[in-house]
Amino acid sequence: MNTVSGPLLEVENLKVSFPGRRGELRAVNGMSYSLYSQQTLAIVGESGSGKTVSCRALMGLLPQAAVVTGSVRFAGAELLGLTDDEMRRHRGTNLAMVFQDPSRSLNPTMKVGNQIAEAVRVHRRVSKAEAREQAIELLRLVHIPVPGRRFHEYPHQLSGGMRQRIMIAIALACRPKLLIADEATTALDVTTQAQIMELLLELRAELGMTLMLISHDLGLARSCADEVIVMYAGQIVEQASTPQLFTHVRMPYTEALFEAIPRLERPAHSPLPVIGGRPPDLSALPVGCSFAPRCRRAADDCRTTAPPLAEHEPGHRWACWHPCGDGDPNLWTLRCCRCAAWSRSSWSGTMAG
Amino acid sequence: MRGLVQEFVVRDYGGVKGGVVHAVSGVSFDVWPGETLGIVGETGSGKSTLARSVLQAPRPKEGTVVFRGADLVTLRGSRLLQARRHLQMVFQDPFGSLDPKWKVRDLVAEPLIAYRVGDRAARRHRVDQVLELVGLDPAAHGDRRPRELSGGQAQRVAIARALAIEPAMIICDEPVSSLDVLIQAQVLNLFERLRAELGLSYLFIAHDLALVKQVSDRVAVMYLGKLCEVGPGEEVYRQPLHPYTRALLDSVPGSTTALATKTIRGEPPSPVHPPSGCRFRTRCPRAEQRCADEEPAMRELAAGHSVACHFPLVPAADTQARSEEKIGDTPR
Amino acid sequence: MSAPLPDLLPAPDAAIAAPVRKKAPGRASSLRVWLPLGFLVLLAAACFIWPQIYPVPKPVGGSILEAGLPPLSPGHILGTDPNGNDVLSRILYGGQVSLEVGFSVTVIGLVIGGSLGMAAGYWRGITDTSIMRVLDVLIAFPALVLALAIAEGLGPSELHVIWALAIFSIPAFGRIARSNTLAIREQDFMLAARLSGTRGRHIILRHVIPNILPQLMTFALLGFGIVIILEGALSFLGLGIPLPEPSWGSMIAQGQQVLSATPEQALIPSAFLFATVVSLNVLGDALRERWGVR
Repeated sequence: MNTVSGPLLEVENLKVSFPGRRGELRAVNGMSYSLYSQQTLAIVGESGSGKTVSCRALMGLLPQAAVVTGSVRFAGAELLGLTDDEMRRHRGTNLAMVFQDPSRSLNPTMKVGNQIAEAVRVHRRVSKAEAREQAIELLRLVHIPVPGRRFHEYPHQLSGGMRQRIMIAIALACRPKLLIADEATTALDVTTQAQIMELLLELRAELGMTLMLISHDLGLARSCADEVIVMYAGQIVEQASTPQLFTHVRMPYTEALFEAIPRLERPAHSPLPVIGGRPPDLSALPVGCSFAPRCRRAADDCRTTAPPLAEHEPGHRWACWHPCGDGDPNLWTLRCCRCAAWSRSSWSGTMAG
Repeated sequence: MRGLVQEFVVRDYGGVKGGVVHAVSGVSFDVWPGETLGIVGETGSGKSTLARSVLQAPRPKEGTVVFRGADLVTLRGSRLLQARRHLQMVFQDPFGSLDPKWKVRDLVAEPLIAYRVGDRAARRHRVDQVLELVGLDPAAHGDRRPRELSGGQAQRVAIARALAIEPAMIICDEPVSSLDVLIQAQVLNLFERLRAELGLSYLFIAHDLALVKQVSDRVAVMYLGKLCEVGPGEEVYRQPLHPYTRALLDSVPGSTTALATKTIRGEPPSPVHPPSGCRFRTRCPRAEQRCADEEPAMRELAAGHSVACHFPLVPAADTQARSEEKIGDTPR
Repeated sequence: MSAPLPDLLPAPDAAIAAPVRKKAPGRASSLRVWLPLGFLVLLAAACFIWPQIYPVPKPVGGSILEAGLPPLSPGHILGTDPNGNDVLSRILYGGQVSLEVGFSVTVIGLVIGGSLGMAAGYWRGITDTSIMRVLDVLIAFPALVLALAIAEGLGPSELHVIWALAIFSIPAFGRIARSNTLAIREQDFMLAARLSGTRGRHIILRHVIPNILPQLMTFALLGFGIVIILEGALSFLGLGIPLPEPSWGSMIAQGQQVLSATPEQALIPSAFLFATVVSLNVLGDALRERWGVR
């Protein structure tokens, strides 16, 4: 996974804040990680965790009002602080993004083929005919049947899954080295989601791309990613390779996420072990660990000092003073055993109202 | 526990001018008192249309909806209002279902006022009572407007409104899909608690199979306006009989250690021109000529477990499906 | 058909949604509301209240001897017109006319047009078709031609101007009200209200009106300005307020005749007209932004 030349993307102490009515709103609060070539990284978190904002910061897509500090280096080149023109050169050729809702991201008045061709021509000086050829090739790449005919269709004539494929084709127009999928499958049906994820992984292998998946869906991360980052309140709280994370979860927040997801193995009507409360107000973050108000393992030191993100085990970083130990059975790997499920849920259950 | 029998028998069609959209085509099911029936389906399956048809909004083209002895399809005006009183709905988008200009108290009191329940003092008391029931503090939240609430809180208000006039059954149309994972779990627990405390029945509609199975006693799977399979939740999960159900189960990320090797082929067909015979045949790996010629009828293959398929995944005959079924997960 | 869209970005569970989507109302925004509003209030006060409490020279019946005095003459701050009338007082009384006409036409449009539009949009079907056909007929009349006809037939007066312009404003409001009602009608909370048992009339009163009122109000403000201009145009053409009663439009017409000699005769009423309409527009725009009307 490590290439000789070092990480493809290096994010160092990224901070993004917005001026808000009640004070400065810290959307991203010191995020640092490295992404290596041909790796698949999943960034997981709920809304407000800062995952989307951090990716938009990478792409330079934040509104003017945003205050961005820190460093983001793509293959050594600094991305923050570039002008729009300079950033545009990176977008498409180095970095590309696929967004959540294809029906909102595609121009409804333009034929889909032309939209792809336009993306090609923005970055490469090719003739219209040449661009058209490449667009059809891209349609074939994303497995759209009869690409020659589909070229001439409009977005509203296509289904959600097809539209998302078009979005992917547009993103791939210039063979970017890094593809960021921001909740790319959230708006799709589960069967279509599976197809699109399969496509993305296939493209990654075929084009030697690096993939960054942003999602709230842990299951998706588990099945598709090599490495997972969990974010909460603008910070990374846990990072590990996928197998490591799902067998030896450390951060109580990650554990709470695991437990709260309905899973097929659970018996019907079993209460979901859930923690109460809501994510903190980003303009008034608590002193100490941001998760402490809701954490069942919180102790006094959690409330006074924020735990640093550190690599406590090789390949596994977390930020917690009292992480979940090795002895705790991990619900994710629990087999369909009623007794275990019930005892686990009653032990951890502080159910909200 | 109310001893009344609540039955639904819904057979209806949806229609749209200029080409008929067969949103729901001949769907029949029953919901028993105190039971939760979960309906799973993807976009275009017609599940939302089904929910609204049950409530007569809009009235289904054909069919009957028998609720507490009255067929809602035949009623109009105030008779319909009276008959429908004990049937309420919670919508997917909590903010869309609450009038943004109204205060929480007024929102919850609206059904009480419309059905003329009690006097002002009694209504106020009931509003407070029901807000507490859903876990909201009436003093803190009563005078807020929806935009001052979080998604989870707004959905609780919607639930409180549905509970205000003591319904017997609540239709939940994707009530937690727009909520975060942890809040989703809180609201689901709330649904369970209300079910236990008040003896409610639910018609729970969602696209997430695990979610539906979590809250339901029985599960029904819909595809393109028709029911594919109905049965007890555990059974449908462990022993899916319809290929579409199988495909749904396989597509759930994280349910298998790798992405499903048999991801479903193709795109969903248009509901304006559904395929002849079995509607799933264009994407079904088991389809044969018979599937195009003849529409499969719903047959009961196991206790309480029915399927509409010519070649259902009967376990004895389908050993391949058996070996691919994974119960629980194995770590990588 | 429903598309499952767990739209997590705008979920207000975290405060991040707010600043990314709307900018905090800064000083500029407030200024754009209060400045024009202040001007309009002052103007209204000046036109309606001031003449009652402070002796202002009469707007009519001036003597020829005092004709054509320039601004800043003693006793006549803005000078006098060719007939010897005090310009300032004619401005104030003319302002009364403009504001009265503007207000009346707007209110008539809002109430009648708004109600018809809402009824059409909510109940649809035959109600919708019949109301819209009636409104279509009204909108087909070219306003100025109609005003001309009325003026010729019934003689020019303020009331007739109001009628003529109202025929124009009712369908405009009707259309806006109808389209907004149609948009709201499909929202879940309307269905929820019906399921809660609320009946049609109450739904319109308590759900539709509060939700479309912002749109209607901003449209009303912008329309107010348009009506004032139209009234000015009518008076300019001699079809509106009959002379010698003052009106900004007729003052501009008179001023046009002596444009080369004493341009301020035309410029002063024009300036007031301009300021008033611009204030209404800026205010309407600022409120539209504030209230999030699209």
